Amino acid sequence: MQNWYPGDKEGKGGIFNFVTKRGKCAGRNSRISWTQVETGSAITWKYPSVLLIGDNSVGEFYSVAVTNNRQQADTGTKMVHIGANTKSTIVSKGISAGHGQNSYRGLVDVKRNAVNARNFSQCDSLLLGDRCGAHTFPYIEVKNTTSRVEHEASTSKIGEDQIFYCKQRGLSTEDAVNMIVNGFCKEVFRELPMEFAVEAQKLLGVSLEGSVG
Amino acid sequence: MSLLEVRNLHAGVQGNAILEGINLRVEKGEIHAIMGPNGSGKSTLAGVLAGREAYVVTEGEVLYQGKDLLGLAPEERAREGIFLAFQYPVEIPGVTNMYFLKAALNAIRKHRSMEELDAMEFLSLVKEKMKVIDFDQSLLNRPVNEGFSGGEKKRNEIFQMAVLDPTLAILDETDSGLDIDALRIVAEGVNKLRSPENAVVVVTHYQRLLNYIVPDFVHVLIDGRIVKSGGKELALVLEEKGYDWIRGESGAVTADAQEAGSK
Repeated sequence: MQNWYPGDKEGKGGIFNFVTKRGKCAGRNSRISWTQVETGSAITWKYPSVLLIGDNSVGEFYSVAVTNNRQQADTGTKMVHIGANTKSTIVSKGISAGHGQNSYRGLVDVKRNAVNARNFSQCDSLLLGDRCGAHTFPYIEVKNTTSRVEHEASTSKIGEDQIFYCKQRGLSTEDAVNMIVNGFCKEVFRELPMEFAVEAQKLLGVSLEGSVG
Repeated sequence: MSLLEVRNLHAGVQGNAILEGINLRVEKGEIHAIMGPNGSGKSTLAGVLAGREAYVVTEGEVLYQGKDLLGLAPEERAREGIFLAFQYPVEIPGVTNMYFLKAALNAIRKHRSMEELDAMEFLSLVKEKMKVIDFDQSLLNRPVNEGFSGGEKKRNEIFQMAVLDPTLAILDETDSGLDIDALRIVAEGVNKLRSPENAVVVVTHYQRLLNYIVPDFVHVLIDGRIVKSGGKELALVLEEKGYDWIRGESGAVTADAQEAGSK
């Protein structure tokens, strides 16, 4: 979880956060799972990656990235399939508010000997307001014929209808937005330990305060 | 003091007038049906009462329990006991029905200075209310309306109504898209929730629903005005003769109806 200073409303004074994180699944049946929640920094570049060398090894990447005001987040992962029967899962949730920009940038690289490799990627973007942006750059390179690679992507705008529905049931706009955003992130949050998940939900609420209505 | 009093309400969307002088009075314990052809303004009326932001009120006033309703935000209206059963219930992915309803109920209770329910208390309340509408437990733990069939969505609306226990419930075309069995279950639910302390406004296109939810008053809405009001038998006449029958009648009837509607 990273929540560096994002700067003022214009992003002035904010941290530029460039992170390098790599993991190596060297042995058979090994597994590495990255789960990240990015809410801070003026600009974030972060691509936690996994080298799947051992046969049957598993790599996972679960990500929630929130940008508000002038924040930019460019984040994703690299899954390099080298061993046989290696598997990877990528779930990326980007939330953009204000003038925030969110990019998913990821590479699924299946090498020649990675027979029966398997990847599933899902990139969902949620937009709050009409000045923010969401971008997806999925790179897929497959060098054998036995692998299966799937990529799903969606972009949705938080709907007036959804907010009105919540309000008609008695919830404030802020609570409605929090609820909708947290629902959107659920697949990632359930990968977190309970204490973290609670913190992550609150952090999201703070990051998006006043972004709608 | 009436529960709801609508006086000469004019409203529209983006400069287009839709409601052109609605008068309506609803007392506790009553069921009112608002009928009319497509595009007559039925859903607009429901939307204006619930506070949908797209609609602009240009004239008239609405009193709810003697207080100005139009000045309240939608969530404040809900907390004061107004419930709208949506014609097209909205999906909220990733948020379970249970979680959604508990948050809603507690927001309402907080507003009324009542203690918020904890998970256990809420669960027992939900179990009790589930019986009212023959509601399937598995729907509780699924995301709000996501992947629900049309019938399940409408049933969910009535289930929410049962849990939130509103003083004024507005059912906006709740019968649309329902088969006859689902219609009966939904209607029975509404009937069970009826009490001398609450009122229901049923907005519908067809008379069919009114076989099950028997109204005390029927109002016919055409071109943004209530042109005729009467008892439950009016719905039957409409079923038989159609809306053109009223359109064909003279302007004098319109004036009578305006008066009846404002009574």
